[in-house]
Amino acid sequence: MTLELSRLAKTYGEFTFGPVDLTVGDEVLAVLGPSGSGKTTLLSLVAGIAEPASGSILLDGRELVGRPLEDRRVGMVFQEGALFPHMTARENVEYAAVSDERVADLAATLELEGVLDRRPPTLSGGERQRVALARTLAADPDVLLLDEPLSSLDAPIRKRLRDELHDLFASLDIPVLYVTHDQRTATALGDRLAIVGDGTLEQVGSPSAVLDRPASRFVARFTGTENLFEGTVAERTGGDILVRVGDVRFQTAGSTVAESAVPGAAVTVCIHPSRVELEPLDASVDGGAEQANAVTGTVARWLNEGNEYRIDVEVSGGLTLVANVRPPTFERLGVDIGSEIRVLAPRESIHLIPDSGESR
Amino acid sequence: MGTEPTGPTESAGPTRSAHTRWFRSVDWLTIALVLGGLLLVYYFTPLVSLFLSASPSDVIGRLADPSVQSAATTSLLSASITTVLATVFGLPLAYWLARAETRWKNAVLAVVVLPLVLPPTVGGVVLLTVFGPNTLLGGTAAAAGLPLTRSLAGVVLAQTFVASPFVVVTAKAAFESVDRTLEHASRSLGKSRWATARNVTLPLAGPGILAGVTLAFARAMGEFGATMMVAYYPRTMPVEIWVSFQSLGLDSAYPVAILLVVISVAALLVLNTVASNPWR
Repeated sequence: MTLELSRLAKTYGEFTFGPVDLTVGDEVLAVLGPSGSGKTTLLSLVAGIAEPASGSILLDGRELVGRPLEDRRVGMVFQEGALFPHMTARENVEYAAVSDERVADLAATLELEGVLDRRPPTLSGGERQRVALARTLAADPDVLLLDEPLSSLDAPIRKRLRDELHDLFASLDIPVLYVTHDQRTATALGDRLAIVGDGTLEQVGSPSAVLDRPASRFVARFTGTENLFEGTVAERTGGDILVRVGDVRFQTAGSTVAESAVPGAAVTVCIHPSRVELEPLDASVDGGAEQANAVTGTVARWLNEGNEYRIDVEVSGGLTLVANVRPPTFERLGVDIGSEIRVLAPRESIHLIPDSGESR
Repeated sequence: MGTEPTGPTESAGPTRSAHTRWFRSVDWLTIALVLGGLLLVYYFTPLVSLFLSASPSDVIGRLADPSVQSAATTSLLSASITTVLATVFGLPLAYWLARAETRWKNAVLAVVVLPLVLPPTVGGVVLLTVFGPNTLLGGTAAAAGLPLTRSLAGVVLAQTFVASPFVVVTAKAAFESVDRTLEHASRSLGKSRWATARNVTLPLAGPGILAGVTLAFARAMGEFGATMMVAYYPRTMPVEIWVSFQSLGLDSAYPVAILLVVISVAALLVLNTVASNPWR
């Protein structure tokens, strides 16, 4: 199955969605964006809950725009499950099931046997979402849409259900659009990510492509790249580029660099905090400081963020680099506020976004 | 704030604080209960008094009267027909009002509510201008052997005008209380609008719809003003009460009134049990 959206657009009062072009094959596309960015609008248009102002939605060449919901064969799992409260879990799943065997199969796969005779209000959040998923899959849809199905669940249940969904999605041979505002869920489940911001598709690509090479400042910021600096291209030798940010110079590896980065061009320098390394000053630098973009700075503050520590290091010229380090590294470094430390930003970790004048 | 009052305010202090103390010592809930209690007594006393005014043998004796039996039959029959008509035509309109997205909705709703706020006698006058014996419609129907005034059909027309808005307004609220996401879910599972309405919307709105139907029945049973104008005959129970009162005095009106109170209480019981009382 292939789902093809072209020039799809919709306006709600002040909010404009699209135009969006997007092709989804038999894969999981995780649609990631802040709330109010248009993620749910995208699903509503595909499901037929809302009609677009313009554009088309083709499913294996069949136009979906203008067709009522019931004729689209597009299954949707809603945020809170949207189970029919007057029916038991079993009746919910059987409601549109293509066969009894399908109901039994899904109940087994999603471990629902124990709850089938209960009514939705008595189910836990996780059970409710499993039933909702079973109900949607029982109708044998050609496309599966999920609207933040895990967002209202507690962290441990969310994690467990996420792992189960990962395995389940792998067994489906249909396009799956999974909407979420949680980056971990998106990267864990998505074969590709689509970043939505303010009604438009900012970037579509593999999780690593989107996270390591954000196409815009919005994507960089939304995916957690806190180190964003205004810089100027100083030199370009072959694929390598030297950028200047204030009086700090960064050497980048060519592969991540945009074509338009010619000397003199304004660029945004992105370095994800997890790629920034810290070393004590007395450690010997192998391979040369140039390779690793080593600079000396002063620890301005640090925060314990649970799985990792976030350390702000002031380098020359008022520039602050943020580094995320794991607890063992943090303990080894013996970080103290005010102490001097060496910051390394490996050449491959530096990504440049050509400055198109956007200031988001 | 922050500093103690001095000078002139200090001299005014004691009286004001005494006043404040009195003011604070008043339990407003008690006052509310007393005021509300008086109103409750006002509702309840006449009802009790009515039951005390007629001896059970009187009531039973009057019930054997053919004119009372005929009135009871007319009322029950016409109110039942009215309830069916109000439901059959009211539910679709209620569903449309609950789900349509058009700016005409408020105008349509105003038309629906109009019979509720219109004085019933005026409702009767309005109906007579359309169904009266000298109108095109009324005349044609009468010539065809189905007179629309002074007939059961006339009673039903008057009752439907006055009572059916209860079905529309109450069922509309019941439909609105059904989460639209559930309907979207049903349809995305391949079920048509009609199948979705039947399997999801109607069952969930059921108690609210039943409340509207019950209210419409109760209103139809009690309809007097419009019925008087359109169909004095055959007499319904409220008309029978009026006639008895006029010709024989208040005493002879009691038994039928008691019968109507009993039917009203039964309707209230339905509202508070199987139906979802919209005013609860």
